[in-house]
Amino acid sequence: MTTYILRRLIQTLVVIAILSYVCFYLMTLMPGDPVDMMISSNPKITAADVVRLRELYGLDQPSYVRYGHWMGDILKGELGYSRTYRVPVQDLLGPRLVSTFILSMVALGFSILISVPLGVFSALRPGSKVDYVINFFSFAGISIPSFWLGIVCIIFFAVWIPLFPAGGTQTVGGPDLGFFANLLDRSKYLILPVLSLSLQQIGRFVRFTRSAMLESLRNDFIRTAKAKGLPRQIIIWRHAFRNALIPLITILALSISSIFSGAIITETVFAYQGVGKLTYDSIIGNDFNVAMVSFIISVAMVLVMNLVADLLYGVADPRISYS
Amino acid sequence: MNKTLKLGLAAALAVSVLANCTKKEAVAPAGGEPSTTAAATNSTKNAELKIGISQEFENLNPLIMSMSASSYMYRMVGRTLVSLDADGKWFTQLAKSIPSLDNGSAKIVEVGGKKKIIATWDLLDNAKWNDGTPITCADFAFALKVAAAPTVSVGEKETFTQVEKIEADAANPKKCTFTYEKAKWDFYALAQFYPLPKHLEEPVFNKYGKEKEGYEKNSNYTKNPTMKGLYNGPYAITEVKLGDHVTFEPNTDFYGPQPKIQKIIVKLIPNTGTMEANLRSGTIDMIGTLGLSLDEALAFDKKVKAENLPYEVTFTPSITYEHIDLNLDNPILKDLKVRKALITGLNREDLVKALFEGKQEAAIHNLSPKDPWFTRDPKEVTLYPYSKREAGKLLDEAGWKMGSDGYRMKDGKKLSLVFMTTAGNKTRELVQVYLQDQYKQLGIEIVTKNEPARVFFGETTRKRKYGAMAMFAWVSSPENSPRSTFHSSSIPNEKNGWSGQNFMNWSNKDNDKLMEELDVEFDAKKRLDLIHKITKHYTDDVPVLPLYYRSDVSVVPKNLKNYRPTGHQFAETNDVEKWDLGGSTLN
Repeated sequence: MTTYILRRLIQTLVVIAILSYVCFYLMTLMPGDPVDMMISSNPKITAADVVRLRELYGLDQPSYVRYGHWMGDILKGELGYSRTYRVPVQDLLGPRLVSTFILSMVALGFSILISVPLGVFSALRPGSKVDYVINFFSFAGISIPSFWLGIVCIIFFAVWIPLFPAGGTQTVGGPDLGFFANLLDRSKYLILPVLSLSLQQIGRFVRFTRSAMLESLRNDFIRTAKAKGLPRQIIIWRHAFRNALIPLITILALSISSIFSGAIITETVFAYQGVGKLTYDSIIGNDFNVAMVSFIISVAMVLVMNLVADLLYGVADPRISYS
Repeated sequence: MNKTLKLGLAAALAVSVLANCTKKEAVAPAGGEPSTTAAATNSTKNAELKIGISQEFENLNPLIMSMSASSYMYRMVGRTLVSLDADGKWFTQLAKSIPSLDNGSAKIVEVGGKKKIIATWDLLDNAKWNDGTPITCADFAFALKVAAAPTVSVGEKETFTQVEKIEADAANPKKCTFTYEKAKWDFYALAQFYPLPKHLEEPVFNKYGKEKEGYEKNSNYTKNPTMKGLYNGPYAITEVKLGDHVTFEPNTDFYGPQPKIQKIIVKLIPNTGTMEANLRSGTIDMIGTLGLSLDEALAFDKKVKAENLPYEVTFTPSITYEHIDLNLDNPILKDLKVRKALITGLNREDLVKALFEGKQEAAIHNLSPKDPWFTRDPKEVTLYPYSKREAGKLLDEAGWKMGSDGYRMKDGKKLSLVFMTTAGNKTRELVQVYLQDQYKQLGIEIVTKNEPARVFFGETTRKRKYGAMAMFAWVSSPENSPRSTFHSSSIPNEKNGWSGQNFMNWSNKDNDKLMEELDVEFDAKKRLDLIHKITKHYTDDVPVLPLYYRSDVSVVPKNLKNYRPTGHQFAETNDVEKWDLGGSTLN
């Protein structure tokens, strides 16, 4: 097991190194660099300014040289400097990663709490009225565009019935309020984005849980368990649900791996200070250092979560072994 | 048709009703009660004002910042020698007076056969940083030293390096002698030459100034932006959250009158679609000029009037010039008659009425009516009033004859032009459709092809890959030399690393000479004559199709007094200390 994990971790590092160069190279192919962006907003920038800035930023170097410098800095623990915001990348990215992590994990947790029981319940009564209603709302959740849902949430709960703030991450001066007051304040700002983000996830997870459970309930061992006279709850949760977990683990691992990039729209609509929009803007604005670090985090999350999923398969199904 | 189906239909109906209600309310919220209540809760007297903007901002080091939103905010905390007011007139900030050749406070000298200017700037006796340290000539000299360093990434270096050296009077550290590299008439226009607090920033520069970008990475503006002593304006920054908000509180060491509003928060709301909801819910109290687009402001203005909301939507004519660059590499557009036909066949008056309800003015050339150099005198510039007949005649003369399919042809080729702009800009896309229709009537096929801004500006315009027509805007300031966009040396090419903004490839030797003369002409009357000659060439040669001068839009509480959007690059925050919520609530 340990050998397997170590092997996978080494593979992960190699994949990150290869993909980071590919990504770096592709970014250099995109038209426009930070200096071009400056020119477009300021007609007074002279040809001499352009040459000087390109040299200063190292943009006059070939991509592999620039990549070498960047990788060297990363290995020294320096994430670089954001050309857009003019601050070190770690200062910019750190708080946003935390904010997005909180938003995405709360939304994911909330979605699982709602969707798994609903999916199981629906699978136990296929074709019933309740099943139809759950399916209907699941499809509605999947189909509603998140930006529209976000705006509707703001209009309902911030403008008509002013229960929650329309946007932001916390009240100005919030951190000075004390730990619990600050926690409460941040929670208030989380409710609408979480609601908007969760509805789609709930719909998707309900559909997956239902279909995995239906599949599982059709197995011979369920019939055997019933014939043996095992209690219904034991059959459902210990035998059927445990077998339905494999596809659920896959979809959950994929969802967790995209937590830092999956909330771009929600973050934009709610002016939530997260990393999703920052990543998008850094790619559009050619802010190499921010984009590359975001990319590394994203790739690492996908690879690590796939590893976690593989390990969890073994936990869910004892027939799967990595020894 | 069983019970299940009925149930499904009922649920669908419920969702549809819910969606319709939401849509209706989103467009025309009922009553205005919630909004006024929300708006009123956060404003007792001049306690607090929350401004919404939709553009990103960066670290507020005055030498390094390059974003409009940063400049918008910096003007609340940082002042320099002079600035430009809402009427387009220069006024003093940290200086006692503006030096001039007339009163002898500036003089032209000749050094080594080169003409230079030496000007004396007297700083206000009570001008201080917000830690009480007096602002002296040394702070300006230090800013010049930092800006000139090759390791510091100042965007437009000439703003600083146009001044060769700054010396202080031995007896008075506030009496500064500026020696300018060239004798240019606008030597006093130093609105972006900000001083740096030498007592705080010099140790950082000495330690890190030799490293590439070492100074900016370690500057106090980066590491500790709320540090006392970094600012000299009416406000000081008390909190910065990049990507979210900046909080400003009065600077008790400010040289001028103390600001009335006790706290200003500038909040970033990146999605303009939710800006209105944020305003109505009280998350923000006003929307600054970097907030809404014109169409959103027009729609909100109607709601404000219909529902008697406690806001005022302001439309301020600006000097931002929306236009279409014509690619003179294009064989069709090389013909002046075709270019003249394009401008004559373009009904700009109708365009601004139809699309902007007359809130933006039709452009006749690059100078806006806000600019003291503006003229519409037909003796000074060539005007092209709309005439479909005249445009058709010009095309006939150019050899483009109307074909049976409704398009003009010449030598077997259709008169077809590629028209590009930034993708996703709703206003520009509407203008494209409008022009497509107008030119169709003249027998010209317009093929639209839009690109994301970074591709459009990063590659397409500067390498003149835009086919025939490229629509965008130039932001400028009054009495600004058009050299960077008109001079033939500003044509981007491989040799100059594709720098320069003459994207049209317009070369007119007489005009080049006039622009060089303009820079060094100290007589205002002669300067006006020169700029009119330049504009005459511009309107005669038609390298560009002028469209309209943009308006700056903002939404302010009705009781906010002394708020004056400027319409140019020096934003309304330049006189933020005068803003007054009038001692009453927003109701």
